[in-house]
Amino acid sequence: MGNRLLSFLMASVALGGLAEAKTVIHVMHQGDPGWVSTYGEVAKRFEAVNPDVDIELIYAPHDAYNEKFSAAVMSKQLPDVMELDAPFLANYVWSGYLQPIKPLIDKDILDDMTASNVAQGTYPVDKELYAVGLTDSSVVLYGNRKYLEAIGARIPKGVDDAWTREEFEGYLEKLSKLEGVKWPIDTFRGYGIKTEWITYAYGPILQSAGCDLIDRKTWKSAGTLDSDACVDALTMMQKWVKNGWVVPQSSGTNQFFAEGQPAALALGGHWIYAEAAATMKDDIVVMPLPKFGPKGASPNGTWIWGITTASEHPEIAGKFVSFMLKDKALRDYAKEDSAYPGLKSFATDSPLYANGGPMAVAFEQASKTAIARPPHPAYPIITSAFMGAVDEIFNGGDVKAALTAAAEKIDEDIEENDGYPPFDEQQ
Amino acid sequence: MSDLAIPTLQAEAQRERSAIGSLRLIQTACILVIALVIVSPLFMLLIASLKDDRFQILADMGSFRAFWVSNPTLSNFAEVSNLSGELAFGRYLLNSLFILGCTVGAGLIVNSMAGFVLAWGTLRGRALVLSLVIALYVIPQESIIMPLVIMVSRAGMTDTFAVQIVPWVASPLYIFLFYQFFAQLPKELFEAAEMDGASVFRIYRSIFLPLSLPALATVSILMGIESWNQYLWPILVTQTDYARPIAVAIATFFGQDSIYWDRAMAASVLMMIPILALYLAFQRWFVSSFVGSAVKG
Repeated sequence: MGNRLLSFLMASVALGGLAEAKTVIHVMHQGDPGWVSTYGEVAKRFEAVNPDVDIELIYAPHDAYNEKFSAAVMSKQLPDVMELDAPFLANYVWSGYLQPIKPLIDKDILDDMTASNVAQGTYPVDKELYAVGLTDSSVVLYGNRKYLEAIGARIPKGVDDAWTREEFEGYLEKLSKLEGVKWPIDTFRGYGIKTEWITYAYGPILQSAGCDLIDRKTWKSAGTLDSDACVDALTMMQKWVKNGWVVPQSSGTNQFFAEGQPAALALGGHWIYAEAAATMKDDIVVMPLPKFGPKGASPNGTWIWGITTASEHPEIAGKFVSFMLKDKALRDYAKEDSAYPGLKSFATDSPLYANGGPMAVAFEQASKTAIARPPHPAYPIITSAFMGAVDEIFNGGDVKAALTAAAEKIDEDIEENDGYPPFDEQQ
Repeated sequence: MSDLAIPTLQAEAQRERSAIGSLRLIQTACILVIALVIVSPLFMLLIASLKDDRFQILADMGSFRAFWVSNPTLSNFAEVSNLSGELAFGRYLLNSLFILGCTVGAGLIVNSMAGFVLAWGTLRGRALVLSLVIALYVIPQESIIMPLVIMVSRAGMTDTFAVQIVPWVASPLYIFLFYQFFAQLPKELFEAAEMDGASVFRIYRSIFLPLSLPALATVSILMGIESWNQYLWPILVTQTDYARPIAVAIATFFGQDSIYWDRAMAASVLMMIPILALYLAFQRWFVSSFVGSAVKG
């Protein structure tokens, strides 16, 4: 009996030792319940084929992700793998939190990335790839066919055929007088200023109008964000709000395909397509974003995966990221979610975005008009200053004054950080 | 003279009665309106939790349809009651209850002891300690949260229940509340017990604590609400499902691109129940404590 007990104890200790020998990979992510479950399942499948690895998922709510990340940095508890919003990549790399990912990810994944996916994961200084994603994103102009036909609107066939500013504003005016239309357009103001929406979706309107949030050569905002072209573009948007053409923030984020379909158009993300199409059936029309000036512009970038410099097992972390991006069930869930392809193989597998597919125009934008948000370490300030200015403008504030104040705030931050070297040397 | 005076007095009394009646009517109407304002969001929450279409919930929010459900279902509650799996909301609820119970239990002991010592102890410089305690109260939690995160992570406490309990057990507000309550009790009580040979701890435990039910109830409720509503702190210090509270888990429903109103509402209803039960359990003493404080000024 004594021997048996001793053997049992020794076996327990040995098993305990084996358990401790497992390599733990911490993975920080965000996402809604569907994604949380999917990541959990992927982790289990990875552990099944790699029994010596334990994947520990760290969930952070989308709205509090930055706070959670700051806490992880301050407490020196950065995870091995982290999901990050693409425009924040430059800030994270500049701060030394991410490491180049190319040597750690399977070559077939790297070869499979679309140009836009490569762009969103690349740091502009050393041109190295720091993050990779299965998906990308875009914003299109959705329309309600019955309303558009009622006002005799032209339906663009592709990106080159997009509405001009004059056409677009003319249609807004006509729609405002059409029976059944409560608001001509939903620009999803309901997302508020706690998300990236304003910079992400409205920034391209400025770029299309011929200006930007910041000069991407001198990295100065004054003279660009408060230029005449930007003031004109935001005065135009302020007029839409003042005229009552835009769904107000208080009305939430679904007036385009809600009961009664009170909004005729929607400047919406690719992600609303599946639900909108299910409700509206043949009435939904997907169009490219209008041209507000000399060229078309559309947003890109989404949540992608990077490996931190704190990882003690970057090879295993990379192995997990590659495994996850190839996982069939994850891809199936992404397809169900009408996810926008960031890998070519995923695009081929997604009839929604393929040539002739209902969202083909969205995918066409990626190669023709997509402009990444400014890849600069000051991006967190750029986006918060711009969002604050737009909020003020939509609430009736002076356009020029709001944009000048935002530009000054951005430039002050860059000056306070000595130009974020080596960005100060890039001209 | 008297014949004339009686009808005048009667008329005056009638006028007075009708004025009082009108005043009461206005008072009742005002109370009803206030009650409606307070209760209607809760009612809307409950109704929304019984609808299974999250888009319908959103569409209904701007109208009276928000207060009506034609096909009630408990499916949302079923989805947020599971005790295992990737999103084990039942477990998160139990986690929150455990954190609440420990924080309130330990908080009552620690804060009441501190309050008692400051009120009746023989410690030198008690007034100074009390001033320092009150001064600490004005420091907002947010301003110390990051240093606190660093401290607890260095102590290896992250992702535990302890990290969500220990930092919030002692509170300047509750120490002061207990101090104020104990200080108002008659000096003779303390002296008589002391003459009978009771130790300070015995006096605290057997005489002063049983007399402080209103203070205990007030602190329990306030502390319970504070612990239950913690959001930022658990986000920063929890990593996995192990000790995640329900307030953080509910945020899962507010995703990047979409909000799952149906399940968020059901989880919110579940989250509301324990704190409502705590309030109802201690309500009598809670109210008497507030009334007492108001009378004593």
